[in-house]
Amino acid sequence: MNDLRAIDLRNIVKVYVNGPMELEVLHGVSLGVDHGEYVAIMGPSGSGKSTLMNLIGCLDRPTRGQYHLDGIDVAQLDDNALAEIRLRKLGFVFQGFNLLGRADALDNVALPLFYAGVPVRERRRRAMAALADMGIADRAKHKPSELSGGQQQRAAIARALINDPAVLLADEPTGNLDSATSEELLQLFSRLNAEGHTILMVTHDQQVADHANRIVRLRDGHIVSDEPSRR
Amino acid sequence: MMYLEEAWRVLLANSVRSILTILGLIIGVGAVIAIQMLGNNMASAVNGMLSGMSDNTFVLFPNQQQQNVRMAGIHLGDLNSVVENVPGIEAAMPVAFLTELVHVGHNTGRYGISADSPVSINGTPILYGRGFTDQDITSNANVTVISNPAYHRLFPNGNNPIGQSIYAGDYRYVIVGVLQAPHSGLLPPLFVHDISIPWTTYVAQYLHGSTIYAARFVVSDPSRMSALEVAVINELRALHGNAAGQEYQSFDKAQITQGINGIFNALTLIVALIGAVSLLVAGIGIMNIMLVSVAERTREIGVRKAIGARSSQILLQFFIEALLLCGSGCAIGMALGLGLGELVNQAFISKLTGSLLPIPWLLALITAGSFAIVVTLAFGTYPAYLASRLDPIEALRYE
Repeated sequence: MNDLRAIDLRNIVKVYVNGPMELEVLHGVSLGVDHGEYVAIMGPSGSGKSTLMNLIGCLDRPTRGQYHLDGIDVAQLDDNALAEIRLRKLGFVFQGFNLLGRADALDNVALPLFYAGVPVRERRRRAMAALADMGIADRAKHKPSELSGGQQQRAAIARALINDPAVLLADEPTGNLDSATSEELLQLFSRLNAEGHTILMVTHDQQVADHANRIVRLRDGHIVSDEPSRR
Repeated sequence: MMYLEEAWRVLLANSVRSILTILGLIIGVGAVIAIQMLGNNMASAVNGMLSGMSDNTFVLFPNQQQQNVRMAGIHLGDLNSVVENVPGIEAAMPVAFLTELVHVGHNTGRYGISADSPVSINGTPILYGRGFTDQDITSNANVTVISNPAYHRLFPNGNNPIGQSIYAGDYRYVIVGVLQAPHSGLLPPLFVHDISIPWTTYVAQYLHGSTIYAARFVVSDPSRMSALEVAVINELRALHGNAAGQEYQSFDKAQITQGINGIFNALTLIVALIGAVSLLVAGIGIMNIMLVSVAERTREIGVRKAIGARSSQILLQFFIEALLLCGSGCAIGMALGLGLGELVNQAFISKLTGSLLPIPWLLALITAGSFAIVVTLAFGTYPAYLASRLDPIEALRYE
């Protein structure tokens, strides 16, 4: 039954070791996210939400505890296996967009397909379709510096979704956008969620979090509340 | 190929930096290839000049530094004794020359007249007529083979001179041959002269007394040259009563070739040293710039890893970037080296020999290619490894 969940964290503990100093950041966090959910994770800085996000994003391994992503036990995989998981199962959207400045939007979106070994024509075709889905097909040949913030974030979302991941992870996705553009982007997220994408978003902005269906609050390495959003 | 495309973009985006980085490789590879070309052409030029010398003769002359030069002097009569007493020596003849005013009609010139034989002359290419025959030698014939420059000076209208006569001092010689090659500047003048006459004729007409300056010996087996040289020297000492301190110097083609090869081996060593030093310096520059590139693009590496790039894929990307950097440097260096080498060869070496070796494309390609691969492997691996080992979380946080 649990294997069917998109994310299944059990008693996750993360300890950072720095010489003789040990710092426990997460004290046994358990969190389950079903396919199709839209979850916002909130918490003040130092609450451990970045650490949690890195663990969920398979950029890091928990010190203790179990983590199943889309049914796969990923808690103690090696670096190459984690890279494969990130490639196939996860899509990242960052606050700073993090597109590659030298490549145009199309090549940026196609990059995960390159690492997945997809042939070049197929890459271009699928990247173009993803850009069209985000409504910026006409910007395909433009470099990130020639795109607006909203367009860059749309390209970044297209890149995150190109491998059809189990979970879309968004870290403060509206942090660098003005309020009108933020609103548009959140509409887009809602649409993607309605289309069946599982979204996990970290934010410190209550208004942004309210777009999600469920809000998880973190404080001092513990989940302090987990409830449906007010919407 | 995505990696190559990416690498090109990176290098072009930092074009000034890229060019400065590979300048060391360009200069190093260019210098090595140019010097290689120059050396090879000089070696071939020298070998061409030596080709006139026959493999089966050597020359002996008394060491001029010794106290008792007179006792060591070789006499005409020694030659027959050596041929009779030393097995393996087929023939012996004096090496002798003098200069004389030579004229044909109103055309005159001062030329060296040398005592020659079929052995000393017939190896060189002939423009007109023939070389000497045994008949010329045994009959003390008044015939001559003249050099190309002498022919042009004495026969300015360019007629075929065979059968015509030249006059030298009191004597008249009938021209039987004209040599093709110009007078060879590298060979000691006692070996090739402009006016060659049979050595027997020379002895009859010019030799006063019986002491000759040097002697030329013909051997039956060139591989025993050194041993025969020693045997002949011993025979000469014996003929002169084993007087104290008699010393002779020998001179053969193998010795000269050996000496010249020594020079070119030294040149090759210098080229290799230049190559090694430029390789090292250029490699350090490339490593430095690759480390800068990795540091600058820390965030990019983090993004690539976050979206699923494996460490090996990051390694490959930076490795290919280094390879492209080195490869383009070596390619430019190769082009410049070939151009420079050919230019210098055309301007200087071709004047010496009249012909050049073909441009050594394959050698240059191998040189440049191996430079590129060695420098990339030695200096590109570490930065690429550093890039591949970056922690994605740290890298993403990098500003």
